[in-house]
Amino acid sequence: MAQPTLTLSSALSDLSTARVRAHRDSNEIVRKGLFVLEQKNGLKALGGDIWDFLEQLTIAALDIGQVELADDCIARLEVQFPKSPRVDVLRGMRIEAKDLGLALEYYEHTLENDETNVAIWKRLIAVLRQQNKTERCVKELVTFLDTFYSDLEGWLELADLYASLNLYTRSLQALSHALLLAPQNPFHALRFAETAYTANDIPLALRYYLRTIELIDSEEDGKETGRRAWFGVKLCTSHLSRTPNLPSESNTLPVQGKNLAALEVLATERLSAAYSSTANTKPDGKVPGRKEVLKWLGQ
Amino acid sequence: MSGDSLYLDPQIRDWVLFPITLVMILVGILRNNVTQLLVSSPKKSTRSATREQRALLRAQILRANAKSSPLPPSYYTAHTDDLIAAFAAGRYLKEDPSRPNEVDEHGNRIAPAPGNMLTDPSMMEGMMGGMKNQAVMMVPQMVIMGWINFFFQGFVLIKLPFPLTLGFKSMMQRGIETPDMDVRWVSSLSWYFLNWFGLNGLYRLLLGDGNAATDQKDLATSPFAGAGAPVMNQPQDYNKLFASESENLQLAQGLYSWIGDDVDSRILRRYGKLPVA
Repeated sequence: MAQPTLTLSSALSDLSTARVRAHRDSNEIVRKGLFVLEQKNGLKALGGDIWDFLEQLTIAALDIGQVELADDCIARLEVQFPKSPRVDVLRGMRIEAKDLGLALEYYEHTLENDETNVAIWKRLIAVLRQQNKTERCVKELVTFLDTFYSDLEGWLELADLYASLNLYTRSLQALSHALLLAPQNPFHALRFAETAYTANDIPLALRYYLRTIELIDSEEDGKETGRRAWFGVKLCTSHLSRTPNLPSESNTLPVQGKNLAALEVLATERLSAAYSSTANTKPDGKVPGRKEVLKWLGQ
Repeated sequence: MSGDSLYLDPQIRDWVLFPITLVMILVGILRNNVTQLLVSSPKKSTRSATREQRALLRAQILRANAKSSPLPPSYYTAHTDDLIAAFAAGRYLKEDPSRPNEVDEHGNRIAPAPGNMLTDPSMMEGMMGGMKNQAVMMVPQMVIMGWINFFFQGFVLIKLPFPLTLGFKSMMQRGIETPDMDVRWVSSLSWYFLNWFGLNGLYRLLLGDGNAATDQKDLATSPFAGAGAPVMNQPQDYNKLFASESENLQLAQGLYSWIGDDVDSRILRRYGKLPVA
């Protein structure tokens, strides 16, 4: 696919958007970053943002394995900010690219000097996860979250960790903290619903799929998220209508009869609409998966 | 009889009015910079201290949405009970090796009473910092007041554009004892005071918010109150804070209701399957 030609201003604005929204499209960032560096007045045009830009470029370079580029950026940052904790984190990430054991020692050593350094602590936990030292990783993460309760990322990571160990109840508990911290975010509600479904707590899952739908403002915004939630609703309602008294570990009251049937019908409707031939996005007019979905829906 | 047509030597304006104002502005900026240099970097706290500080936050987050809580009842109750038990048992209190926590009859830890200011080293540092700030504020003021008193005593500087009552005479005409000169005429010392109160806004413009050139606390302490007792934040008494937070949690539990309770009816209504109630 031909890539659009870059101009300095478009590259700079794309890079700053990526910084603000925490996009990690590392290939693009490195491409645009190198382009900016190669321009004659690239660095000047960055102005005060140059250090943020270098940090962004370092992380992107490490992501795609361009270690020399990362080294170069870190060297420049070190010259400007000699004893900075932020540069310490970047240096640690650079060590991670080579040797996880060394990186672990580096982080432990840094934490001895300052045990409340959040960024370093999180990198430590990340390294433990990469090394599959699950027990220690869970312990560290739990201690971390005990101290820094409002770290949403941490709770999500813990939920993921528990789910990977099939400890779904604990995963739900971690997600419940995430829900408290970001109650209006449909993605977390969806994750809660899916974890509940995997843990076989169908009544709970149904309520959270519905909650996800409620949190999505308009059909345009969350088209894909909405679709997953409607699939979930359809699955749960069909389970519940076949076996009305499903056990629920969280003792959730299941949705009652008339509403249940109405919800199943509604879900079928919305999914058919989503996959209808008028809702396509591809230029050749075909809606991928339409036949299979309609067959599954029983139409 | 109000003498409202005194003619002032324009040299007074050039050599007294503007210099006083200019000097005060510059000294304010100087104070700001000196304070920034003197302020010590925030102390690194230990994990347990941070944890203690943020424990209340945890309870507040739980309580915040109690009426339409995203958590199902079993989870909400579990969290609340957990937190209340932890507060009661003092599990969140920070561990300080030099002052081990006392234990009450149930084996729960009790926070130490807020210690004596002079003996606790961390509070001592806080006090020193406060006193250093005040010294920086007070010294230039003393100097400028002395300078004005010495050089610019005994004449009026400026006529205020708005009238004032007689009560302000002693404030506005310090150093000039006349029984019936209009209060709108201001002497140099009083001009100094006026500037002192009023330059706050200018500092905020020049130096941005949160500058150290003027401090609200200082209005009370100097120069009127002299060397008053330093105003310090009382160290938090975590016992009481945790106890009151436990009560708040129990109250919130009464208000609790799950948002997932009738989400099905709401969705059906949204898509027109149920009549709007």
